[in-house]
Amino acid sequence: MISLNSSVETWAHRWPAGLKLGSLCFATVILFSQNSLVFHSAVFGASIVLYHLPGKQFSKPGLQRLFTLWPFIAIILVWHVLTGAKVEGLVVTLRLLSAVAIANLVTMTTKLSEMIEVIRWISTPLRRFGMNTRVLEIGIALVVRFTPVLIDKGGQLTQSWSARSHRKPSWKIVMPFTVLAIDDAEYVADAIKARGGL
Amino acid sequence: MERNLALIALFAALIAALGLIPKFTLGFGVPITAQSLGVMLCGTVLGSKRGALAVLLFLLLVALGLPLLAGGRGGLGLFVSPSAGFLIGFPIAAFVTGFIVEKWRAAPLGLVSGLGSVVGGVIVLYVFGIAGLAIVLGKSIPEAALLVIAFLPADFVKAILAGVITAALAKARPQSILSRA
Amino acid sequence: MEFNELAATVEMTGVTLSRNEKPLLKDIKLSAREKRIGIVGRNGSGKTTFARVLSGLVAPDQGEVRICGIDVVKDRKAALRSVGILFQNPDHQIIFPTVEEELGFGLIQMGCSKLETEHQVHGVLKAFDKRHWAKAQTHQISQGQKQLVCLMAIIAMKPQVVILDEPFSGLDIPTRLQLTYYFDRIDATLIHISHNPESLQGYERVIWLDNGQIREDGSAASTLSNFTKHMNALGTQDDISELIG
Repeated sequence: MISLNSSVETWAHRWPAGLKLGSLCFATVILFSQNSLVFHSAVFGASIVLYHLPGKQFSKPGLQRLFTLWPFIAIILVWHVLTGAKVEGLVVTLRLLSAVAIANLVTMTTKLSEMIEVIRWISTPLRRFGMNTRVLEIGIALVVRFTPVLIDKGGQLTQSWSARSHRKPSWKIVMPFTVLAIDDAEYVADAIKARGGL
Repeated sequence: MERNLALIALFAALIAALGLIPKFTLGFGVPITAQSLGVMLCGTVLGSKRGALAVLLFLLLVALGLPLLAGGRGGLGLFVSPSAGFLIGFPIAAFVTGFIVEKWRAAPLGLVSGLGSVVGGVIVLYVFGIAGLAIVLGKSIPEAALLVIAFLPADFVKAILAGVITAALAKARPQSILSRA
Repeated sequence: MEFNELAATVEMTGVTLSRNEKPLLKDIKLSAREKRIGIVGRNGSGKTTFARVLSGLVAPDQGEVRICGIDVVKDRKAALRSVGILFQNPDHQIIFPTVEEELGFGLIQMGCSKLETEHQVHGVLKAFDKRHWAKAQTHQISQGQKQLVCLMAIIAMKPQVVILDEPFSGLDIPTRLQLTYYFDRIDATLIHISHNPESLQGYERVIWLDNGQIREDGSAASTLSNFTKHMNALGTQDDISELIG
């Protein structure tokens, strides 16, 4: 399963994941507490610069993700122009884009394994209370392992539909799809038990 | 215990897979994404606690950076985007839906699942979704509600379909309906 | 079942397909009129892709596929009436909870009325001697029975060509032999794809697909014997160790 983190090595890749996530929370709180156009223009400008520093292979997919917000941006700007609150509209837009940009920067510069380490660290107090946090890690691994399998099976079901109909599949395909997930779960449960259980 | 974990993980994978297979239609040529349908099914099939855990596991992986949300989206940016309210609402929606299916035993499963999905998967979900939109876009609640009202009919139909699908699942795999175990 | 005097024509010209820069089918050229055609090859030779392209489910990057003159990729509506495909795993093929619904699906999609569909469905069940299966739950029957349901669903649409994509996977010997009995009674052209030469004995023409290309194309006897010799030779080697990519 391909994750969204970038293969381009940046200085940010070397920062500890916990530090990045903590800074992100802090940054988000600051962003939503400020309302000045100057502040948000500066922050947004800085974010774009950060995306371009590691080069085009990094900035292109990163900025593409920002671009997918365009329907919301369009609505906000049109709304605010019509209500005569242009500055407020710009502030909301820039804040939204900055928040998403900074958050995605963390996603793009942090490996999945590092994120899982942070989860393990955060769940340490739960282990002190006797909870089995290994279950969570196995759960994560199972989802990563089986999502492509289910997508593949879903694809086969849609092909079975397309082999007999020129129309796109209807909701009726969700039932057999769910049955496949349920059956796979039974096999997986057996496989876990066969390897010693939880 | 193993079976619970396997079902939770596989339903989380199912939500992801439902977002990634091509959009299908409601029958009038209206394209819909099936992901919220997957969230409702987590509630109706697995019940409140396990259903919510399946959705939480799914969200955790999206937060960790996997492109599991419809359209191949993922990452932390989503949790500060306009969709954030809906994302936070997903596990709560699954919990409420599952709770209704678990407690209301007097009526047939299909009916209860459908109505449970309307309450959880539509009403509760939209409350969180609209609140999130209002915060992120700096708008008032009624203004934010206006933005999403067009999606309500499709989601309402999805909730009914969740009921129909759950009833069919109970016939095909009766042991897997944990909400009525 | 109707007796079809004119055998279907299958034409593939210059069919090429790649995925992720890996070539799966390389310039396939085929012209066939036989009624029983076999496609044999190792797993990974491109057989499954071949089946998908032949049925029009997947469009080739280059080239054309025409069955009875119909371009199966461009004219999906006509293709659905002419070509049917039976997949490997019936669990990934059956969509509906009852046999009746599964058999009737293709007919309704083609525009048949409810009454006409019911009539055709019962016709197929009768032809296969399975009228008692009409209300059966598809999730409760055996794997072999599921394959038969999938076959009936295809035959209900009265195609001129039926593609069998490794239909015997995971089935035991008696079930395979019984399914073969039903295959033999199909009047349409059969294109049977398999990695097992035994399944294709007695076919009119067998094509050996190797690495996305047609390696041999001739009588069942000669192609299958050459294929078997080559497979046994490969068995003494160790390509199982190679990792792709």
